[in-house]
Amino acid sequence: MNAALLRADEVSKSYDGLEVLRGVTFEVDRGQVKVIIGPSGSGKSTLLRCLALLEPVDAGAIFLDGDRVSGLKERELTSHRSEVGMVFQRFNLFQNMTALGNVMVALRDVRRLPKKEARERALEFLARVGLADKGNSYPEELSGGQQQRVAIARALVMRPKAMLFDEPTSALDVELVREVLDVMEGLAREGMTMVVVSHELRFAQHVASSILMMDEGRIIEESPPEQFFSAPEHERTRRFLSLVE
Amino acid sequence: MLASFDTHLFWEALTSEPYWRGALLAIALTCAALAAAVLLGFPLALGRASRFRAVRIVVFVYSWFFRATPTLLLLLIVWDVLPQLWPVFTHSWYTAFLAAFIALALNEAAYMAEIIRAGLLSVDPGQELASRALGMKRWQTLRRVVIPQAIRIVIPPTGNEFITLLKLTSLASVISVHELLTAAQEQASVSFKFAEVYGAALVYYLVIVSVLMFLQSKLERRFTWTSRARGRAVAVPTVAHDAR
Repeated sequence: MNAALLRADEVSKSYDGLEVLRGVTFEVDRGQVKVIIGPSGSGKSTLLRCLALLEPVDAGAIFLDGDRVSGLKERELTSHRSEVGMVFQRFNLFQNMTALGNVMVALRDVRRLPKKEARERALEFLARVGLADKGNSYPEELSGGQQQRVAIARALVMRPKAMLFDEPTSALDVELVREVLDVMEGLAREGMTMVVVSHELRFAQHVASSILMMDEGRIIEESPPEQFFSAPEHERTRRFLSLVE
Repeated sequence: MLASFDTHLFWEALTSEPYWRGALLAIALTCAALAAAVLLGFPLALGRASRFRAVRIVVFVYSWFFRATPTLLLLLIVWDVLPQLWPVFTHSWYTAFLAAFIALALNEAAYMAEIIRAGLLSVDPGQELASRALGMKRWQTLRRVVIPQAIRIVIPPTGNEFITLLKLTSLASVISVHELLTAAQEQASVSFKFAEVYGAALVYYLVIVSVLMFLQSKLERRFTWTSRARGRAVAVPTVAHDAR
Protein backbone atom coordinates (compact mmCIF):
# COMPACT_ATOMS: atom_id res chain seq x y z
CA MET A 1 0.00 0.00 0.00
CA ASN A 2 0.85 3.59 0.30
CA ALA A 3 3.48 5.03 2.65
CA ALA A 4 1.30 7.91 3.78
CA LEU A 5 0.22 7.86 7.40
CA LEU A 6 -3.16 9.37 6.65
CA ARG A 7 -4.66 9.49 3.21
CA ALA A 8 -7.91 10.58 1.63
CA ASP A 9 -8.43 9.03 -1.75
CA GLU A 10 -10.86 10.71 -4.17
CA VAL A 11 -13.18 11.57 -1.29
CA SER A 12 -16.57 13.08 -2.04
CA LYS A 13 -19.16 14.22 0.45
CA SER A 14 -22.51 15.95 0.13
CA TYR A 15 -24.95 17.38 2.62
CA ASP A 16 -28.54 17.63 1.45
CA GLY A 17 -27.50 17.59 -2.18
CA LEU A 18 -24.78 20.18 -1.67
CA GLU A 19 -21.40 18.84 -2.74
CA VAL A 20 -18.93 19.88 -0.05
CA LEU A 21 -16.02 17.68 -1.13
CA ARG A 22 -15.53 16.86 -4.82
CA GLY A 23 -13.06 14.05 -5.16
CA VAL A 24 -10.36 15.25 -2.78
CA THR A 25 -7.09 13.35 -2.68
CA PHE A 26 -4.86 14.28 0.19
CA GLU A 27 -2.11 12.64 2.14
CA VAL A 28 0.19 13.37 5.00
CA ASP A 29 3.35 11.40 5.74
CA ARG A 30 4.73 10.61 9.16
CA GLY A 31 6.14 13.72 10.78
CA GLN A 32 4.75 16.12 8.22
CA VAL A 33 2.70 19.19 9.06
CA LYS A 34 0.16 20.17 6.44
CA VAL A 35 -1.70 23.43 6.70
CA ILE A 36 -4.97 23.84 4.83
CA ILE A 37 -6.32 27.28 4.00
CA GLY A 38 -9.27 28.41 1.95
CA PRO A 39 -12.47 30.44 2.13
CA SER A 40 -15.33 29.34 4.35
CA GLY A 41 -17.47 26.70 2.72
CA SER A 42 -14.53 25.36 0.74
CA GLY A 43 -14.71 22.01 2.54
CA LYS A 44 -11.70 22.29 4.89
CA SER A 45 -13.54 21.33 8.04
CA THR A 46 -15.44 18.58 6.30
CA LEU A 47 -12.21 17.09 4.99
CA LEU A 48 -10.83 17.14 8.52
CA ARG A 49 -13.93 15.46 9.92
CA CYS A 50 -13.72 12.76 7.27
CA LEU A 51 -10.06 12.20 8.18
CA ALA A 52 -11.05 12.00 11.86
CA LEU A 53 -13.65 9.36 10.86
CA LEU A 54 -16.40 11.53 12.33
CA GLU A 55 -18.24 11.71 9.01
CA PRO A 56 -18.78 8.83 6.60
CA VAL A 57 -17.58 9.54 3.07
CA ASP A 58 -20.00 9.24 0.15
CA ALA A 59 -17.32 8.12 -2.29
CA GLY A 60 -13.61 7.44 -2.07
CA ALA A 61 -11.75 6.10 0.93
CA ILE A 62 -9.71 7.06 3.98
CA PHE A 63 -6.53 5.14 4.81
CA LEU A 64 -4.79 5.24 8.17
CA ASP A 65 -1.34 3.70 8.29
CA GLY A 66 -2.10 1.81 5.10
CA ASP A 67 -5.40 0.36 6.35
CA ARG A 68 -8.65 1.33 4.77
CA VAL A 69 -10.69 2.78 7.64
CA SER A 70 -13.65 4.30 5.84
CA GLY A 71 -16.82 2.30 5.34
CA LEU A 72 -16.23 0.24 8.47
CA LYS A 73 -18.91 -0.58 11.01
CA GLU A 74 -19.39 1.87 13.86
CA ARG A 75 -17.75 -0.52 16.34
CA GLU A 76 -14.53 -0.76 14.30
CA LEU A 77 -14.54 2.94 13.53
CA THR A 78 -14.62 3.71 17.24
CA SER A 79 -11.24 2.15 17.90
CA HIS A 80 -9.66 3.82 14.87
CA ARG A 81 -10.95 7.24 15.96
CA SER A 82 -8.84 7.10 19.08
CA GLU A 83 -5.74 6.85 16.87
CA VAL A 84 -6.38 10.27 15.38
CA GLY A 85 -6.49 13.29 17.69
CA MET A 86 -8.92 16.08 16.90
CA VAL A 87 -8.91 19.65 18.17
CA PHE A 88 -11.97 21.80 17.51
CA GLN A 89 -12.44 25.48 16.86
CA ARG A 90 -14.70 25.86 19.89
CA PHE A 91 -12.59 23.56 22.14
CA ASN A 92 -15.58 21.34 23.00
CA LEU A 93 -14.25 20.52 26.44
CA PHE A 94 -16.65 18.43 28.47
CA GLN A 95 -18.41 21.02 30.60
CA ASN A 96 -19.20 18.58 33.38
CA MET A 97 -15.59 17.61 34.00
CA THR A 98 -12.53 19.36 35.35
CA ALA A 99 -9.53 19.88 33.09
CA LEU A 100 -8.02 16.74 34.56
CA GLY A 101 -11.29 14.85 34.07
CA ASN A 102 -11.36 15.90 30.43
CA VAL A 103 -7.89 14.55 29.82
CA MET A 104 -8.50 11.37 31.82
CA VAL A 105 -11.90 10.23 30.62
CA ALA A 106 -10.90 8.50 27.38
CA LEU A 107 -7.86 6.93 29.02
CA ARG A 108 -10.26 5.26 31.42
CA ASP A 109 -13.11 4.46 29.02
CA VAL A 110 -11.28 3.80 25.77
CA ARG A 111 -7.78 2.75 26.82
CA ARG A 112 -9.08 1.04 29.95
CA LEU A 113 -6.24 2.30 32.14
CA PRO A 114 -6.56 1.98 35.91
CA LYS A 115 -7.51 5.22 37.61
CA LYS A 116 -4.14 5.94 39.15
CA GLU A 117 -2.25 5.43 35.92
CA ALA A 118 -4.76 7.46 33.91
CA ARG A 119 -4.47 10.28 36.42
CA GLU A 120 -0.69 10.33 36.33
CA ARG A 121 -0.58 10.33 32.55
CA ALA A 122 -3.25 13.02 32.34
CA LEU A 123 -1.32 15.23 34.77
CA GLU A 124 1.82 14.70 32.73
CA PHE A 125 0.08 15.91 29.58
CA LEU A 126 -1.55 18.85 31.33
CA ALA A 127 1.95 19.86 32.43
CA ARG A 128 3.11 19.53 28.83
CA VAL A 129 0.67 22.21 27.73
CA GLY A 130 1.66 24.34 30.73
CA LEU A 131 -1.47 23.77 32.80
CA ALA A 132 -0.23 21.55 35.61
CA ASP A 133 -1.89 23.84 38.14
CA LYS A 134 -5.30 23.94 36.42
CA GLY A 135 -6.26 20.30 36.77
CA ASN A 136 -9.11 21.02 39.15
CA SER A 137 -10.60 23.90 37.18
CA TYR A 138 -13.77 23.47 35.18
CA PRO A 139 -13.79 24.64 31.56
CA GLU A 140 -15.88 27.71 32.25
CA GLU A 141 -13.27 28.92 34.73
CA LEU A 142 -10.50 28.81 32.12
CA SER A 143 -9.62 31.33 29.43
CA GLY A 144 -10.15 30.33 25.81
CA GLY A 145 -6.44 29.75 25.34
CA GLN A 146 -6.28 27.55 28.41
CA GLN A 147 -9.34 25.61 27.28
CA GLN A 148 -7.80 24.97 23.90
CA ARG A 149 -4.58 23.78 25.49
CA VAL A 150 -6.55 21.36 27.67
CA ALA A 151 -8.29 20.17 24.49
CA ILE A 152 -4.90 19.56 22.89
CA ALA A 153 -3.75 17.63 25.96
CA ARG A 154 -6.97 15.61 25.88
CA ALA A 155 -6.24 14.54 22.30
CA LEU A 156 -2.49 14.03 22.81
CA VAL A 157 -2.85 11.86 25.88
CA MET A 158 -4.29 9.12 23.66
CA ARG A 159 -0.94 9.03 21.85
CA PRO A 160 -2.56 9.45 18.44
CA LYS A 161 -0.72 8.72 15.21
CA ALA A 162 -1.77 12.11 13.86
CA MET A 163 -3.31 15.29 15.19
CA LEU A 164 -5.97 17.26 13.32
CA PHE A 165 -6.66 20.89 14.17
CA ASP A 166 -9.82 22.60 12.93
CA GLU A 167 -9.18 26.36 13.10
CA PRO A 168 -7.79 25.99 16.62
CA THR A 169 -7.18 29.68 17.20
CA SER A 170 -10.00 31.40 15.36
CA ALA A 171 -12.34 31.47 18.37
CA LEU A 172 -9.64 33.04 20.56
CA ASP A 173 -8.94 36.61 21.54
CA VAL A 174 -5.79 37.80 19.80
CA GLU A 175 -3.67 37.86 22.92
CA LEU A 176 -4.47 34.18 23.57
CA VAL A 177 -3.55 32.88 20.12
CA ARG A 178 0.17 32.76 20.82
CA GLU A 179 0.01 30.31 23.74
CA VAL A 180 -1.90 27.81 21.61
CA LEU A 181 0.39 28.22 18.60
CA ASP A 182 3.41 27.73 20.88
CA VAL A 183 2.06 24.37 21.98
CA MET A 184 1.38 23.40 18.37
CA GLU A 185 4.84 24.47 17.21
CA GLY A 186 6.35 22.43 20.02
CA LEU A 187 4.40 19.40 18.79
CA ALA A 188 5.55 19.94 15.23
CA ARG A 189 9.18 20.12 16.36
CA GLU A 190 8.76 16.84 18.21
CA GLY A 191 7.78 15.24 14.93
CA MET A 192 4.02 14.92 15.40
CA THR A 193 2.12 14.34 12.19
CA MET A 194 -0.34 17.21 11.91
CA VAL A 195 -3.06 18.51 9.64
CA VAL A 196 -4.02 22.06 10.51
CA VAL A 197 -6.85 24.11 9.11
CA SER A 198 -5.80 27.63 9.97
CA HIS A 199 -5.34 31.10 8.62
CA GLU A 200 -2.36 31.79 10.86
CA LEU A 201 -0.05 32.30 7.92
CA ARG A 202 3.03 32.97 9.99
CA PHE A 203 2.52 29.69 11.78
CA ALA A 204 2.12 28.00 8.40
CA GLN A 205 5.30 29.61 7.13
CA HIS A 206 7.28 28.41 10.16
CA VAL A 207 6.16 24.85 10.59
CA ALA A 208 4.30 23.62 7.52
CA SER A 209 5.83 20.97 5.29
CA SER A 210 3.40 22.20 2.71
CA ILE A 211 0.38 24.43 2.45
CA LEU A 212 -2.81 23.51 0.65
CA MET A 213 -5.39 25.81 -0.82
CA MET A 214 -8.98 24.55 -0.94
CA ASP A 215 -11.78 26.07 -2.93
CA GLU A 216 -15.25 24.75 -3.72
CA GLY A 217 -14.61 21.27 -2.42
CA ARG A 218 -11.28 20.75 -4.16
CA ILE A 219 -7.61 21.15 -3.32
CA ILE A 220 -6.49 23.54 -6.01
CA GLU A 221 -2.89 23.91 -5.00
CA GLU A 222 -0.28 22.39 -2.71
CA SER A 223 3.26 23.63 -2.33
CA PRO A 224 5.98 24.27 0.28
CA PRO A 225 5.53 27.53 2.21
CA GLU A 226 8.22 29.58 0.40
CA GLN A 227 6.75 28.84 -2.96
CA PHE A 228 3.17 29.06 -1.76
CA PHE A 229 3.59 32.59 -0.50
CA SER A 230 6.05 33.95 -3.05
CA ALA A 231 4.72 32.38 -6.20
CA PRO A 232 1.24 30.91 -5.83
CA GLU A 233 0.15 29.06 -8.94
CA HIS A 234 -3.47 30.05 -8.88
CA GLU A 235 -5.05 33.42 -9.23
CA ARG A 236 -7.63 32.27 -6.65
CA THR A 237 -4.86 31.61 -4.10
CA ARG A 238 -3.29 34.99 -4.75
CA ARG A 239 -6.57 36.78 -4.21
CA PHE A 240 -7.27 34.80 -1.03
CA LEU A 241 -3.82 35.50 0.39
CA SER A 242 -4.20 39.20 -0.21
CA LEU A 243 -7.44 39.13 1.75
CA VAL A 244 -6.07 37.18 4.70
CA GLU A 245 -2.81 39.11 5.16
CA MET B 1 -58.66 35.73 65.90
CA LEU B 2 -61.10 33.92 63.66
CA ALA B 3 -64.36 33.32 65.45
CA SER B 4 -64.76 29.63 64.85
CA PHE B 5 -61.18 28.32 64.44
CA ASP B 6 -60.54 25.51 66.88
CA THR B 7 -56.79 25.46 67.34
CA HIS B 8 -56.88 22.32 69.39
CA LEU B 9 -58.73 20.40 66.68
CA PHE B 10 -56.28 21.76 64.10
CA TRP B 11 -53.30 20.38 66.06
CA GLU B 12 -55.07 17.15 66.65
CA ALA B 13 -55.69 16.69 62.96
CA LEU B 14 -52.17 17.74 62.11
CA THR B 15 -50.63 15.11 64.35
CA SER B 16 -53.19 12.36 63.81
CA GLU B 17 -52.16 9.03 62.40
CA PRO B 18 -54.41 9.08 59.29
CA TYR B 19 -52.79 12.40 58.31
CA TRP B 20 -49.17 11.47 58.52
CA ARG B 21 -49.86 8.02 57.15
CA GLY B 22 -51.75 9.62 54.27
CA ALA B 23 -48.89 12.06 53.72
CA LEU B 24 -46.28 9.30 53.72
CA LEU B 25 -48.39 7.36 51.27
CA ALA B 26 -48.71 10.38 48.99
CA ILE B 27 -44.95 10.92 49.11
CA ALA B 28 -44.24 7.24 48.48
CA LEU B 29 -46.66 7.14 45.57
CA THR B 30 -45.21 10.32 44.08
CA CYS B 31 -41.59 9.19 44.40
CA ALA B 32 -42.30 5.72 43.03
CA ALA B 33 -44.37 6.99 40.11
CA LEU B 34 -41.84 9.71 39.24
CA ALA B 35 -38.91 7.29 39.42
CA ALA B 36 -40.71 4.83 37.17
CA ALA B 37 -41.69 7.66 34.82
CA VAL B 38 -38.05 8.73 34.49
CA LEU B 39 -36.95 5.16 33.77
CA LEU B 40 -39.71 4.76 31.19
CA GLY B 41 -39.40 8.29 29.84
CA PHE B 42 -35.72 7.92 28.99
CA PRO B 43 -36.12 5.20 26.35
CA LEU B 44 -39.20 7.05 25.09
CA ALA B 45 -37.11 10.20 24.70
CA LEU B 46 -34.41 8.30 22.81
CA GLY B 47 -37.08 6.50 20.79
CA ARG B 48 -38.47 9.73 19.44
CA ALA B 49 -35.23 10.28 17.55
CA SER B 50 -34.85 6.65 16.51
CA ARG B 51 -33.89 5.87 12.96
CA PHE B 52 -36.56 3.16 12.94
CA ARG B 53 -39.96 4.41 11.89
CA ALA B 54 -41.79 1.77 13.90
CA VAL B 55 -40.10 2.91 17.11
CA ARG B 56 -40.98 6.53 16.42
CA ILE B 57 -44.62 5.56 15.83
CA VAL B 58 -44.83 3.56 19.07
CA VAL B 59 -43.42 6.51 21.00
CA PHE B 60 -45.81 8.91 19.33
CA VAL B 61 -48.85 6.75 20.06
CA TYR B 62 -47.76 6.33 23.68
CA SER B 63 -47.35 10.04 24.20
CA TRP B 64 -50.59 10.83 22.39
CA PHE B 65 -52.62 8.27 24.36
CA PHE B 66 -51.40 9.12 27.83
CA ARG B 67 -51.52 12.86 27.36
CA ALA B 68 -55.03 12.69 25.96
CA THR B 69 -56.41 10.46 28.72
CA PRO B 70 -57.50 12.27 31.89
CA THR B 71 -55.56 10.97 34.88
CA LEU B 72 -58.75 10.27 36.78
CA LEU B 73 -60.11 8.14 33.95
CA LEU B 74 -56.79 6.34 33.67
CA LEU B 75 -56.93 5.49 37.38
CA LEU B 76 -60.42 4.04 36.95
CA ILE B 77 -59.35 2.05 33.91
CA VAL B 78 -56.34 0.57 35.65
CA TRP B 79 -58.26 -0.24 38.84
CA ASP B 80 -61.70 -1.22 37.55
CA VAL B 81 -61.34 -2.19 33.91
CA LEU B 82 -58.18 -4.31 33.97
CA PRO B 83 -59.59 -6.86 36.48
CA GLN B 84 -62.67 -7.27 34.26
CA LEU B 85 -60.53 -7.99 31.22
CA TRP B 86 -57.85 -10.15 32.83
CA PRO B 87 -58.54 -12.29 35.89
CA VAL B 88 -54.92 -12.01 37.10
CA PHE B 89 -55.73 -8.50 38.25
CA THR B 90 -58.39 -9.81 40.62
CA HIS B 91 -55.76 -11.45 42.85
CA SER B 92 -54.92 -9.96 46.20
CA TRP B 93 -51.48 -8.70 45.10
CA TYR B 94 -53.20 -6.17 42.87
CA THR B 95 -53.71 -3.46 45.47
CA ALA B 96 -55.18 -0.03 44.98
CA PHE B 97 -51.77 1.46 45.71
CA LEU B 98 -50.18 -0.63 42.95
CA ALA B 99 -52.94 0.36 40.54
CA ALA B 100 -52.46 4.04 41.40
CA PHE B 101 -48.71 3.66 40.93
CA ILE B 102 -49.15 2.08 37.50
CA ALA B 103 -51.64 4.69 36.31
CA LEU B 104 -49.60 7.67 37.53
CA ALA B 105 -46.30 6.26 36.26
CA LEU B 106 -47.64 5.51 32.78
CA ASN B 107 -49.22 8.93 32.60
CA GLU B 108 -46.19 10.79 33.94
CA ALA B 109 -43.77 8.95 31.62
CA ALA B 110 -45.36 10.70 28.64
CA TYR B 111 -44.47 14.07 30.19
CA MET B 112 -41.04 13.04 31.45
CA ALA B 113 -40.16 11.81 27.97
CA GLU B 114 -40.71 15.34 26.65
CA ILE B 115 -38.65 16.88 29.44
CA ILE B 116 -35.80 14.42 29.03
CA ARG B 117 -35.81 14.91 25.27
CA ALA B 118 -35.55 18.67 25.71
CA GLY B 119 -32.69 18.10 28.16
CA LEU B 120 -30.79 15.84 25.77
CA LEU B 121 -31.29 18.27 22.89
CA SER B 122 -30.03 21.17 24.98
CA VAL B 123 -26.54 19.66 25.25
CA ASP B 124 -24.18 21.25 22.73
CA PRO B 125 -23.64 18.79 19.83
CA GLY B 126 -19.93 19.66 20.01
CA GLN B 127 -19.77 17.72 23.28
CA GLU B 128 -20.87 14.53 21.60
CA LEU B 129 -18.58 15.17 18.65
CA ALA B 130 -15.54 15.59 20.90
CA SER B 131 -16.43 12.43 22.77
CA ARG B 132 -16.77 10.41 19.58
CA ALA B 133 -13.50 11.84 18.28
CA LEU B 134 -11.76 10.37 21.35
CA GLY B 135 -13.06 6.93 20.43
CA MET B 136 -15.76 6.78 23.10
CA LYS B 137 -18.65 4.47 22.31
CA ARG B 138 -22.18 5.76 21.99
CA TRP B 139 -23.32 4.67 25.43
CA GLN B 140 -20.09 5.94 27.01
CA THR B 141 -20.72 9.31 25.41
CA LEU B 142 -24.26 9.31 26.76
CA ARG B 143 -23.30 8.23 30.25
CA ARG B 144 -20.19 10.35 30.75
CA VAL B 145 -20.96 13.48 28.80
CA VAL B 146 -24.50 13.94 27.56
CA ILE B 147 -26.64 12.64 30.43
CA PRO B 148 -24.85 14.53 33.24
CA GLN B 149 -25.22 17.77 31.30
CA ALA B 150 -28.84 17.03 30.43
CA ILE B 151 -29.63 16.36 34.09
CA ARG B 152 -28.81 19.95 34.97
CA ILE B 153 -31.44 21.11 32.49
CA VAL B 154 -33.96 18.47 33.48
CA ILE B 155 -33.93 19.05 37.27
CA PRO B 156 -36.15 22.17 37.49
CA PRO B 157 -39.01 20.90 35.27
CA THR B 158 -38.79 17.53 37.02
CA GLY B 159 -39.29 19.36 40.32
CA ASN B 160 -42.47 20.81 38.84
CA GLU B 161 -43.57 17.35 37.80
CA PHE B 162 -43.00 16.12 41.35
CA ILE B 163 -45.32 18.81 42.65
CA THR B 164 -47.94 18.06 40.02
CA LEU B 165 -47.78 14.35 40.79
CA LEU B 166 -48.02 14.96 44.52
CA LYS B 167 -51.28 16.79 43.93
CA LEU B 168 -52.48 14.14 41.50
CA THR B 169 -52.10 11.46 44.17
CA SER B 170 -55.24 12.91 45.77
CA LEU B 171 -57.13 11.56 42.75
CA ALA B 172 -56.19 8.08 43.92
CA SER B 173 -58.79 8.51 46.65
CA VAL B 174 -61.41 7.47 44.07
CA ILE B 175 -59.88 4.01 43.93
CA SER B 176 -59.77 3.81 47.72
CA VAL B 177 -56.13 4.74 48.24
CA HIS B 178 -55.98 6.36 51.66
CA GLU B 179 -53.76 9.30 50.94
CA LEU B 180 -53.61 12.64 52.70
CA LEU B 181 -56.68 14.30 51.20
CA THR B 182 -58.84 11.25 51.89
CA ALA B 183 -57.83 11.47 55.53
CA ALA B 184 -58.82 15.14 55.60
CA GLN B 185 -62.17 14.48 53.93
CA GLU B 186 -62.97 11.73 56.39
CA GLN B 187 -62.18 14.06 59.28
CA ALA B 188 -64.31 16.76 57.74
CA SER B 189 -67.30 14.52 57.29
CA VAL B 190 -67.16 13.64 60.98
CA SER B 191 -66.47 17.03 62.56
CA PHE B 192 -67.70 19.51 59.90
CA LYS B 193 -64.76 21.67 61.04
CA PHE B 194 -63.57 22.34 57.51
CA ALA B 195 -61.09 25.12 58.25
CA GLU B 196 -59.22 23.04 60.82
CA VAL B 197 -59.02 19.73 59.00
CA TYR B 198 -58.36 21.13 55.52
CA GLY B 199 -55.95 23.66 56.99
CA ALA B 200 -54.00 20.81 58.55
CA ALA B 201 -53.87 19.00 55.19
CA LEU B 202 -52.68 22.20 53.53
CA VAL B 203 -49.81 22.44 56.03
CA TYR B 204 -48.65 18.98 55.00
CA TYR B 205 -48.61 19.88 51.32
CA LEU B 206 -46.75 23.12 52.03
CA VAL B 207 -44.13 21.34 54.11
CA ILE B 208 -43.62 18.55 51.57
CA VAL B 209 -43.18 20.99 48.68
CA SER B 210 -40.84 23.19 50.77
CA VAL B 211 -38.61 20.22 51.53
CA LEU B 212 -38.65 19.30 47.85
CA MET B 213 -37.63 22.83 46.83
CA PHE B 214 -34.75 22.72 49.30
CA LEU B 215 -33.54 19.36 47.99
CA GLN B 216 -33.91 20.57 44.42
CA SER B 217 -31.69 23.59 44.97
CA LYS B 218 -29.05 21.34 46.54
CA LEU B 219 -29.25 19.01 43.56
CA GLU B 220 -29.02 21.86 41.08
CA ARG B 221 -25.85 23.06 42.76
CA ARG B 222 -24.38 19.59 42.53
CA PHE B 223 -24.89 19.67 38.78
CA THR B 224 -23.30 23.07 38.30
CA TRP B 225 -19.72 22.65 37.23
CA THR B 226 -17.54 25.30 38.71
CA SER B 227 -15.17 24.59 41.57
CA ARG B 228 -16.78 27.46 43.44
CA ALA B 229 -20.10 25.67 42.96
CA ARG B 230 -22.09 28.85 42.84
CA GLY B 231 -25.54 28.56 41.46
CA ARG B 232 -26.02 29.82 37.96
CA ALA B 233 -29.22 30.40 36.10
CA VAL B 234 -29.66 27.90 33.34
CA ALA B 235 -32.10 28.00 30.49
CA VAL B 236 -35.03 25.80 31.37
CA PRO B 237 -37.10 24.43 28.53
CA THR B 238 -40.72 25.14 29.15
CA VAL B 239 -43.05 22.22 28.93
CA ALA B 240 -46.70 22.93 28.41
CA HIS B 241 -48.44 22.27 31.68
CA ASP B 242 -51.79 20.99 30.59
CA ALA B 243 -54.43 20.12 33.13
CA ARG B 244 -54.58 16.42 33.72
